[in-house]
Parts: sequence; structure tokens; C-alpha cells
Amino acid sequence: MSSLNVLFAVCTAYVLFLFFVAFAADRLALKEKKAWLRSPLIYTLSLSIYCTAWTFYGAVGSAARNGFEYLTIYLGPTLVMISWWWLLRKLIRIGRTQKITSIADLISSRYGKSSLLAAGVTILAVIGTTPYIALQLQSVTLSFSVFAAQSDGLAAQDQARLALWLSLGLAVFTVLFGTRNLDAKERHDGVVMAIAVEAVVKLVALLSVGVFVVWGVSGGLTEALNQIDASEFGEWHTDRSRWAGLIFLSAAAFLCLPRTFQVLVVENDDESHLRTASWAFPLYLCLISLFVVPIAVVGLGIMPKGSNPDLFVLTVPLALGQDGLAMLSFLGGFSSATSMVIVAAIALSTMVSNHIVMPIWLQLRPSGASVSGDVRAAVLMARRISIVGVVMLGYLYFRLSSGGEALASIGLVAFCGLAQVLPAMLGGMFWRGATRMGAFAGLTAGFATWLYTLYLPSFGIGTILPVSIVENGLFGLPWLKPDALFGITGMDQLMHALLWSMLFNVVSFVTVSLVTFPSPLERLQAAQFVNIFEHSTNARSWSGGTAQAEDLMVMAQRILGAKDAQALFLRHARRQGARGNLPAPTPDFLESLERELGSSVGAATAHAMVGQITGGMAISVEDLMAVADETAQMLEYSARLKEQSEELSRTALELRNANQKLTRLSIQKDAFLSQISHELRTPMTSIRAFSEILRDTDQMNPEDQSRYASIIHDEAQRLTRLLDDLLDLSVVENGQVNLNLRDGTLRDALDRAVASAALGEDGVPLQIERDVAKEQIGLHTDLDRLSQVFINLIANARKYCDAESPRLVIRVMQEVDRVVIDFQDNGSGIAPEAVDMIFEKFARVSDQKAGGAGLGLAICRQVMTRLGGAVDYVPAARGANFRVVLPYRTAMAAQ
Amino acid sequence: MIRATNRPGSPTVFHERRTYRRRRVMDAARVAPVLALLLWMIPMIWPQSGAGTVSSATALIYIFLVWAGVILLTWGLSRLLGDDAEDASDSDA
Repeated sequence: MSSLNVLFAVCTAYVLFLFFVAFAADRLALKEKKAWLRSPLIYTLSLSIYCTAWTFYGAVGSAARNGFEYLTIYLGPTLVMISWWWLLRKLIRIGRTQKITSIADLISSRYGKSSLLAAGVTILAVIGTTPYIALQLQSVTLSFSVFAAQSDGLAAQDQARLALWLSLGLAVFTVLFGTRNLDAKERHDGVVMAIAVEAVVKLVALLSVGVFVVWGVSGGLTEALNQIDASEFGEWHTDRSRWAGLIFLSAAAFLCLPRTFQVLVVENDDESHLRTASWAFPLYLCLISLFVVPIAVVGLGIMPKGSNPDLFVLTVPLALGQDGLAMLSFLGGFSSATSMVIVAAIALSTMVSNHIVMPIWLQLRPSGASVSGDVRAAVLMARRISIVGVVMLGYLYFRLSSGGEALASIGLVAFCGLAQVLPAMLGGMFWRGATRMGAFAGLTAGFATWLYTLYLPSFGIGTILPVSIVENGLFGLPWLKPDALFGITGMDQLMHALLWSMLFNVVSFVTVSLVTFPSPLERLQAAQFVNIFEHSTNARSWSGGTAQAEDLMVMAQRILGAKDAQALFLRHARRQGARGNLPAPTPDFLESLERELGSSVGAATAHAMVGQITGGMAISVEDLMAVADETAQMLEYSARLKEQSEELSRTALELRNANQKLTRLSIQKDAFLSQISHELRTPMTSIRAFSEILRDTDQMNPEDQSRYASIIHDEAQRLTRLLDDLLDLSVVENGQVNLNLRDGTLRDALDRAVASAALGEDGVPLQIERDVAKEQIGLHTDLDRLSQVFINLIANARKYCDAESPRLVIRVMQEVDRVVIDFQDNGSGIAPEAVDMIFEKFARVSDQKAGGAGLGLAICRQVMTRLGGAVDYVPAARGANFRVVLPYRTAMAAQ
Repeated sequence: MIRATNRPGSPTVFHERRTYRRRRVMDAARVAPVLALLLWMIPMIWPQSGAGTVSSATALIYIFLVWAGVILLTWGLSRLLGDDAEDASDSDA
């Protein structure tokens, strides 16, 4: 029991150490000390996520069972790594440029941002990875039980509990360090650092065991080689098809596994790291596999028959009494298992939350994404739940499969399943003609074949696939037997499945791609992916400048919520030193905005949305808009709706204004009628009264008679004048007046006006100041009408100027395109509230000096309008100031 | 090429040769995986039984020697394809 206790203690200490490493790395990253956190070495080590517990323990087991076949699992990735120049460099450039968050995102992004494809790849990844996680749990419990076997063994119940605790611990670690950043594209510094440390532990553990076995047990390199030749290995026997097939399979898996894609592409911080990794990672793989055969040979030699070769790495040191070495070896296996689960959970949770949970969640919300201020929180929650879900799914699979032998083969089965993504992926990167329908067809065909020929049979015949199908074929058709399609028998089951699934996959992919026509967005993405080096120098930055900060603000508010968006904009505005609340759309700002949006709606969508507003993308925005995906269509639709509703409200406002005007006119008309009847009635009443007096009074002295008659005469004259004015106004207003255009000078017109206005002058004389020299301006206009206007203005000044010695200044100014004549008196002017009214009919400033009908200024204005000029009241420092404006045309025509 | 125009006196032949070399290095980087694959496929033509079978130790040494060679080759190529060998010259020459 004591050794088990020690084991638990070491395990706990190791886990705590990992927590510390991740925590410290995150802290360092926060302090911007990223230089060595993001070195090529760390990147290379993090790639070792490919080597899981399955390879750590399983390689030796595989070597013991199948000879050199285990090497293929490492040769494939080595080939991929040395293809960095034409393959990985392109893949990483695409990933960085297109802000890819997962392999599902890559496929969907390439094929017109298809959500269906993304969901499909996600499901494939979950199905392929869950057993793999179960495998890690199994390896850890198995290694525990090896130690337990030395004391009193480990009951199955305890194994299950152990697996559960392990899963929970891994889920907690992953949630803590994997969802620290909302943004899936941002590097998980803590996690990557922990994985790099685990990579070192793995390598050191395996190398230690290897060195011990070769130099400690076999007694040197030559002896070890001799021992190999003498052992069951003997001569080179390897199934040729498996050798080639497995190299292909492992290469494909290295590219397509969600966890390797995560560290290879998503977590890549600098393309130049790839240059180092291109040779350093093959070196790592080489070292990992170097001592596998010697360990297997020694294990086969010293361990009792029937012992599990998968555990030789542990049991050989234990059997030879090297407890410390065994402990190190255990930690190596433990590291492999935990790092795999952590990264797989991060990768899968990103995919599940972005491509399955969030679309469903947004669908279910009635309001859609338009007002979703809480999208961020939802994404975070979805990611956390997905992590726990993925790990627990692995645990469940482990429990259901009861940790049996079936699990051991699941590694290659999973490889084969995920390799189905390869044709769509490579086709998308190198062939512009690949279409979404093609990718979908290929994936479906490959996936279905894999499911039928490999995955379902891997559970054991009779568990899921009925025995009848395996023996007689589907629907009783012998050529549809899952292990012998088209009657081709005698093939290895894995190779059989690999051959047919890849064949169907590639053929469907190519054929359907050839016959279907891609959507414009697909074609744009195709061009971007295939010609990535022509479209980008490095990760693309926005060449903003034309962007509308307001538009960005509106969009950001929709997605991030008003408060967060405003805070973000304000922060950037302050940083830029801008005065308002809106920052200038600099590339820096746009990039960080895009990152923020990306964490909510997925990077590809965010990129496109910012692109639509800034117009800074290499492809044209109109194209993007025209072929826009659902989001854009929704936005476009809502924009149209908004436009329409704005138009409606504009129309309504116009109608309201028109209605108000009509009402006002109606009121005016009523007022006019009552005014006019009043104006007509007053003189009429006096005329009637006095004519009655004249008629009815017999004895009347002649003075009275003449006085009454003159009153009647005056009143009749007033009536006539009123009627004349009314007639005049209506004539001018209706435009029926004939203008009598003549040549003359402004001075003549003013002379005439001053002379007529002086007629019948009584009371205090009005002193008129003029600058005659300036009045020598030739006119071609209706001089009579113009004089009428002047007369009116002078008469008004006489009538209303309340100064002790009234004075009127007539100032003439010649401007570029007009002549301005000001009539300014020295009175008290017109009250501001009355200014609006003075040009209206029957408007009189005060009743005390009611001399006319109040039509004078109304007529003036109409006349001036007819003459092409204007008359206005201009507020002056003192006195009333009327300004007559004559257009230049009128003035110059005479010269 | 840019440097060539900066220094009109220096022989441009040298620079063109350098560009030419760099492109051939890129070609080598493209071909290297094929070479590695071919070398690792050779065990497939080894006789599986009878006379002339290859011993396990020899097979192991062969595969790891190829591995070491491939690592060295890639290391050398990656050094030659440094940062200056960027995209401008990426298109095939």
C-alpha cells in the first residue's frame, strides 16, 4: 500500500506543479514577458501532444506484438514536418490570416463558411476523439493498477473512481487555463507551457527507461542489437500494406487530429517557429521511438508469458527493482495522458461551442443576435460546459467499454476517422475548384464507410453491428460485408477500411466538386486559401481609414452589448488621444475589435463583419455583401427594414407638417375674412350713419352738412384705398400683374419715392439722409412697382418712427451679385416677437397709429418677390431696419 | 535584387545566382519529403522470407539512420531558407 500512497503523493505533487507552471506562464504572459514563452522550442515541445499515452505505452506494446509497425506512427508526422515548406507553412499562414480557431473552422471557412460542414466535422471529431480520451483514462488507471498490484491490487471499483477523479481534475484544469481568454484565437500560454513541460517529462522518462534497458540490462549497444536479432523479432517481417498505409494514416492524423491542429495552427504565434520545429520535432519523434524496440525485447525476455506488453515501460523497471525509474516512467505516461486530454478538450470545446452550441443557442433565442449583449458570457459558458462534456463523455466511454482490450485498438480507428477530413482540407488548400458540396459529399462518403467498416465493428461483433450483417452483409448482400466490401477478402481490417473510405471520400469529393458550381463566397475563399501567399504578407492587418467609427460602434454594440462596446471604444479613444468617444479606425484598433468580436461570433464571422464596414479586405466588400452568409443577410435585411421605417416616419412627418400648414392657412383665412369684413364694415358704418343723418335731418347748417359729407367722402376714399390694396395684393400674389420693365436708375426711383412720401406730410417732418452718389446704379426693372415699395417703407418710417426728431437713413450697398438698399430709422424698432408678423396681411405693429389696412408690407414683399428680389426686416443696433435686395441681374442689365 | 540596384558597381550576376540558389533550395525543401518517403518505403521491397532477409537490427539501424539524415537535411534547409527567403521569391522560378 505504501508504494501506492507514494504514487498518489507524487501524482498530486506533479499535478500541483503543472497548475503552478500554467499559472506562472499565464502571469508572465500578462506581464508581457512573452519572449521565451513563445520561443520555437516551446512550440516544438507543444507539438508532442501528438504522442499520447497510447504511444508512450502502446509503442512498446505494438513493437512486442507487431514488430516494427510502431515506427509508422512516428514516420508519418516526420514526413509532414519536413514538408513544412510547401504544406505546413501554407496551412499556418491560412490559419493566421483567416483567424482559424479549429479544424472545423478551417473547413467551414474554406467552403463558404458553411455551418453544416463545420457541425459535421465537429461531430466527426467528437466521435473520433471520445474513445481516445477514454484510452488515456484507461492507461492511467492501468498504470496505477501496476503499482497497486505490488501491494494489494486495485479493485475495478477503485479504478472507476480513480478515472472519475482524474477526469474531474483534468476538466477543472482545462476550464481554468483553457477558458481564461474568451478569445479562442488567443494563445493559451499557461496550457502550452504545461504541455511543453509534460513533453520534456515524457521524453526524459522514455529515454531514461531506454538507456537503463540498453546499458543497464543488455550491457551496451552492440549487445542490445544482438539481443534484438536473437529475439522473436528476428528478421524483418512487416505487412507491406500496413507499413505504407499506417505511414499515410499517421501523417493524415497529424494534420487532422483536433489536438495537433490546435497546437500546430491555432496556438502558433510566429510562423518562423515552424522553421525550427521542422527539424526539431522529427528529432523529438526519433528520440521517443529510439528505445522502443530494446525495451520491448527486454520486456519479452524477462517478463512472464502473458503479461501485458503495453505496460513494459512500467513493469520492466519495476521487475528489476528500479522503483525510482518506474516512478519517472509512470509520470511520463501520466503526462502523455493528461496533456492529450487537456488539449483535446480545449480543441473540441472550441469546435462544439462555436459550431454546435452557439448556432443552436442563437436560433433558440427569439431576439436573435441583434440585441445580444450577453453573447460573450454565453460563449464562455458554452465552452466550459463543452470541456466538461467532452471529458465526461470520454469517462463515460471508458466506463461503458469497461476498459477492455477493445480500447487498445481504438487509436488507429480514431486516426482513420479523422483522416476523412484530409481530402477536403488539402483539396481546399491546393485546388480552387473544390466546392462545398464536394467537401460535404466526400466527408459523408468517407465517414459513412469508416463508420460501417471500422468504427462500429471495433466495438466487437454483435454489440452494435448485428452478427447477421457481419456474416451476410448489409441487407443480406454479401458484397456489402463490413470487412469485405465488393467481395474483396483477405485484407487487414484497418487497411480495408482505410482504402475504401479514402477512395470513396476522394472520388466523391472530386466528382461532386467537378459537377457543382461554388457560390461566390466559396470562390472568394478558395482564391484566398489557395493563393494565400499572394494575399498576405503576414497575418493580415486592416488598412482602415475609410471605416466609419459609428458603424463599427453600432455593430460592436449589437454583439458585445452596449456597455462593453462603449468601454472598449472609449479605452481605445483615450489611448489614441482622440477627443471624442470614438477612436479613429486604425489597424490596431480594428484588429483588437475584431478579436473581441471573434470571441463571440467566431473569428471568421467577425473578420467578415469588420471587413464589411472598413472595406479593408483584399476582396471587395460588395462581393462579400452580395454573397453574404446568414448573418450578413440578416444585417442587410434589418438595414433595409430600418431604411424603410425611416422613410415611413419621414413621410409621416411631412404629412403632419402639411396638415399643420393647412390648419394654419385655414385659421389665417378665417382671420383674413373677419379682418376684411371688419375693415370694410367700419367705414361702411360711418358712411351709412352720416348719410342717414344727411337724409333725415331737415334743418342742418351748411358747416355740418359739408363736414358730414367730407367724412362720408373720406370714408369712401378709405374704402376705395382698401379695396385697391386688396385688389393689388391679390393681383400681385396670383402673378397676374404685368411688369412694366423700364430702364432707369436707382436714384430716380428713390427720388420719386421720397417726393411722393413727402406729400401730405404733417407733424414732425422726417429727415431723410441719402448718399446720392452711390445711388447711381442702372436698373432694368418695373420702376413704378419698385418706387411703390420704397414709398411704403418711407411712409412706414414716418408713421412708426417714435424718435423726437425722426430720421431715416437710406444706405445703398453694391455687392458682388446684388444691390442692397437699407432703410434704417432712429426709432425704437420693432419688437422681436412682432418681427415674424409684419409681412403678413393685416398685421399692424401697434393699434395706436392705425393708418392703413396693414397690407403695405405684404404687398411690398409680393412685389419684391415678383421683381426677383426680397425685402426683409434686419435687426439693427437701434431703430427699424428694412433691407431691400435687388438681384445683380436687374441692376446690371441696364448698364 | 534590391541590393543590386543599390550598389550599381557590384556584379549583379552574383545576386542573380543567389536568388537562383535560393529557389533551388526551395525546390530541395519541396522534394525532401519525397526522398524521405522513398527511403522509408524501401523496407517494403525487402524480402519477407527465405534467403536475403534483413535482420531486425539492420532494419532498425537503417530506419534510424535515414531518420537522422532527414533531420540533418531539414535542419540545413531550414537554415538556408531563413527569414529573408520570404514570399516575394516564393513563386516558382
